[in-house]
Amino acid sequence: MMRRTIPVMATLSAVALALAGCSSGSGSGGADAEADGPITLDYWAWGTAQQPMVDAWNAAHPDIQVKRTDAGGGTDSSAKLVTATRAGNAPDVAIVEYNTLPAMIVAGVAADISEHADGLEEEFAPGVWSQVTFDGATYGVPQDAGPQALTYNQAQFDELGIEVPTTWEEFADAAEKVHEADPDSYITTFAPAEFGGFAGFAQQAGAEWWSVDGDTWTVDFDDDASVAVADYWQDLIDRDLVLAEPLLTPEWNAKVNKGEVLSWPAGLWAAGVLYGVAEESAGDWAMAPLPRWDEGSSAVGFQGGSAVVVTTSTEHAEAAAEFARWMGTADEASAAQIEQGQYPASLAGQELTLESDPPLLMPQQKDYWETAAEITRSTIPEISWGPNVNVASSAFQDAMSTAVTDGTPLRDALTTTEAEVVEDMETTGFEVTQK
Amino acid sequence: MSTVTTPRPAGVRRLAADRPRPRPASRRGAILPSVVLVLGALYCLVPVVWVLVASTKSSSELFSTFTFLPGTGLVENLGDLFAYGDGQYAQWALNSLVFAGVGAVACTLVSTMAGYALAKYDFPGRQVAFYAILGGVLLPGITLAIPQYLLMSKIGLAGTYWSVLLPCLISPFGIFLARVYAVSAVPTETMEAARIDGANDARVFVSVALPMMVPGMVTIFLLQFVGIWNNFLLPFIMLSDERMYPLTVGLYTLLSKGSGTPSLYSLAIIGSAVAIIPLVAMMLVLQRYWRLDLISGGLKG
Amino acid sequence: MSAVTDPPTLAYRRARRRWGAPFLFLLPAALLFVAFLAIPIGYAIYLSFRGMRMAGGGPFGVRQETWVGLDNYVAAFTDPELLAGLGRLAIYGIIAVPLTLGLALTFALLLDLPRVRGARFSRTAIFIPYAVPGVVATLLWGFLYLPSTSPGTWVLERVGLGGLDVLHGPMLFPAVANIAIWGGVGFNMIILYTSLRGIPADVYEAARLDGASEWDIAYRIKIPLVAPALVLTGLFALIGTLQVYGEPTTLRPMTSEISQTWVPLMMIYRDAFTRDNLSLAAASSVALALGTLVVSVILLRLTQKRSFGES
Repeated sequence: MMRRTIPVMATLSAVALALAGCSSGSGSGGADAEADGPITLDYWAWGTAQQPMVDAWNAAHPDIQVKRTDAGGGTDSSAKLVTATRAGNAPDVAIVEYNTLPAMIVAGVAADISEHADGLEEEFAPGVWSQVTFDGATYGVPQDAGPQALTYNQAQFDELGIEVPTTWEEFADAAEKVHEADPDSYITTFAPAEFGGFAGFAQQAGAEWWSVDGDTWTVDFDDDASVAVADYWQDLIDRDLVLAEPLLTPEWNAKVNKGEVLSWPAGLWAAGVLYGVAEESAGDWAMAPLPRWDEGSSAVGFQGGSAVVVTTSTEHAEAAAEFARWMGTADEASAAQIEQGQYPASLAGQELTLESDPPLLMPQQKDYWETAAEITRSTIPEISWGPNVNVASSAFQDAMSTAVTDGTPLRDALTTTEAEVVEDMETTGFEVTQK
Repeated sequence: MSTVTTPRPAGVRRLAADRPRPRPASRRGAILPSVVLVLGALYCLVPVVWVLVASTKSSSELFSTFTFLPGTGLVENLGDLFAYGDGQYAQWALNSLVFAGVGAVACTLVSTMAGYALAKYDFPGRQVAFYAILGGVLLPGITLAIPQYLLMSKIGLAGTYWSVLLPCLISPFGIFLARVYAVSAVPTETMEAARIDGANDARVFVSVALPMMVPGMVTIFLLQFVGIWNNFLLPFIMLSDERMYPLTVGLYTLLSKGSGTPSLYSLAIIGSAVAIIPLVAMMLVLQRYWRLDLISGGLKG
Repeated sequence: MSAVTDPPTLAYRRARRRWGAPFLFLLPAALLFVAFLAIPIGYAIYLSFRGMRMAGGGPFGVRQETWVGLDNYVAAFTDPELLAGLGRLAIYGIIAVPLTLGLALTFALLLDLPRVRGARFSRTAIFIPYAVPGVVATLLWGFLYLPSTSPGTWVLERVGLGGLDVLHGPMLFPAVANIAIWGGVGFNMIILYTSLRGIPADVYEAARLDGASEWDIAYRIKIPLVAPALVLTGLFALIGTLQVYGEPTTLRPMTSEISQTWVPLMMIYRDAFTRDNLSLAAASSVALALGTLVVSVILLRLTQKRSFGES
């Protein structure tokens, strides 16, 4: 990351300017900038990979300069995007997680970029591409993909003589072994607020929370597959075999460092996050395909992963779309992502990983990228998110947290979530059938 | 029922503060209160001491060494803090200073004028104005943040410095205090005398009333300064550009990002320590100017 | 009702002579009041009767703002979470308000006693938390609560007892309330203390000559005399309670027991920004503001009819 200190005088004059009434908005650059100088695009993005990518773009595109702002992680950032769009000072380009993209379309944040998307579809696998296209229109360029995998502490697994589990049944057995060996240790965490993670597990089991037929939506959060997943984790929590608490708190980080949390089933980006948390234990970790529900199918869902969208507020839609495309498809961009442990969404980028070093968390795992490619080939091709994922995820987080705190069944939390999602859609006026 | 508060020049009453302290108290009577007070002081100081100690720790020491054991990372933490995000921390501090400084000065002037008018003039609508202000004091300011945000958006100000600064300029509580102070500190007789000498209303206000109201204005200024400095929700809602954040919102974002990047916890901690030092220093220096008895002054009828 | 400060005849004479001046003095405040209080209130009320509804077209549709009557109020009041949030707020308030005021009064009375050692130090130290922003205070306490950084746990573990996790289970409410108490005691103490210092000394002297103990003086003379200040600080503590937002929000990432709707303002924030339902948030805001006003007025009526010096 580039570091410099803004001289005080410059800062003071910036304050004076702002107080003089200049809005901070991106749009204020205005049309005249286009005529006699380089365009500046405002770009909201979180994560360590972004600044190097933006720097690479700026070096190669003197006419279209990009200024990146970190407006917080996925949830904060998308809430801010909605408010900023209402306020008329949204950035030109922003990163949006796949599952919040529908809500961003409904809220009028993400612009239809179909006219700038010629030939883009071929750059991506169908499962990834389907995340950004709705009703035949394209609303973003996929940037990173987060197929679910199992990131685990290989050193600890070896010490305890645990084989990497390939099914969830084996995973439960391994959980028992871990906890027996040391009552302070757990194989993993069930974080009640991880909506995306649970969604991935449920999709892997065959759940379809939203589906649409014509204009009629069907909402089903407590189908058999999702309930089975809830019951599976319920059993592990009840037997005290998994840690039921939030992820990435100082507490959790300390436990990971002490080797008391041995694995994390999550998107492929987990390697990068864990490296930030437990840098000292790099080399102990490895990645394997996510355990399966049954032997036959190896399909997994996504958790996280994001697209670059052009906002409806931009005055430079064409330049913004060009930047979005570059961020999603250029080799330089992919290389910067890979270096930070992210998995590129584009086919070319994924190809590129095969020549790259494994992530910093697992330098010893030479087949990391091959395994990643294999996992990605078997992702579920069509996952559809509904128009109010924001409502679903907030309802899910509270219902699951309450269930874990109060010891009520997790499966009931799914029913609660469904009721809130349906109520919200009906109030808004969608045609909904509930299963 | 009517209440008439005769304006009394401050200092005429014999205040408890001036009273001599004779009375032979038993020794026990003085030791127990002292112990209780010291315990209270410790309770209030422990977290502050903690943050000062913790700011000397490197990120690995933070979770591994005893809480109150100083660490070795102070210089490095300070360097990281001011280097973070292209010197964003200094920018946040400057923003806080601009919001709180400009906001408090302007708010004090506005409040003083309004409080003076309410205290020293009788005019149609005075009761209505007073009750409106009273209502404003009782209304939870935070419930206004959302409509304020939407209205700011409509006129294109949301996301600018103005959107945080302007709502801070009106403080019903400040007006209330100014009124209380004007009632007790500005004698009507002096004003009348100035008028007989030919001074107009503006001159009476500027050269007679204003100097007398200075202690009250300092109190309003300090209350408003601290209030704006500590404000979180309004800037959190109004602003989306990190470079415009005040310290509170900036530190909050550091903390919430800290979950993904634990090294940011150290930054949030040293950032907090650095942020409270100037304010605590200001409180200590200006302590004697606090006239908080003003607040209850209006209640004595 | 009568005039507050001046004999009416004088006021009348001045009013006739210079009716324009007070309006000019009030003008900036009035403009700001209308722009940032009156209009937003009106707008919130208007918005609370509006809502985003589908206006046809495709599975994602197009939404338009329309008139929805009382729908938002019905939704707000029938939401069990809002009621649960108010319940949690009540528990929090029952802990925070009396303790803040009780401690503030105790410290103020002790400071006002003769012959107290280190009074200046204690007074300053107790006042310092007022200068610490709520978000920072929460961060400090959050780290003191977390088992891995808590000195309490460190000591407990050294003596062979398990750690203490105050962010889970029954200690959660006291833990959150403690942050507010810590931040509020000093400010309230100073208000009460300065009120005590404002009491003319001769009031006590007779009692002392009669041989009354300091306790008697505090209980029978001082507390009744600072009662108006106590009412006012109580009122502010109450309003502060209804506005609790920053502390639980900042603590939320550390515990799964604080939901996004833990207190009403958190729910309002969630509806407005996470769920993009500004009208529902406006309805809840209006209801909360009205509730606060009603509670404040009742409190003032019950305790002190002459409050705020107005007849």
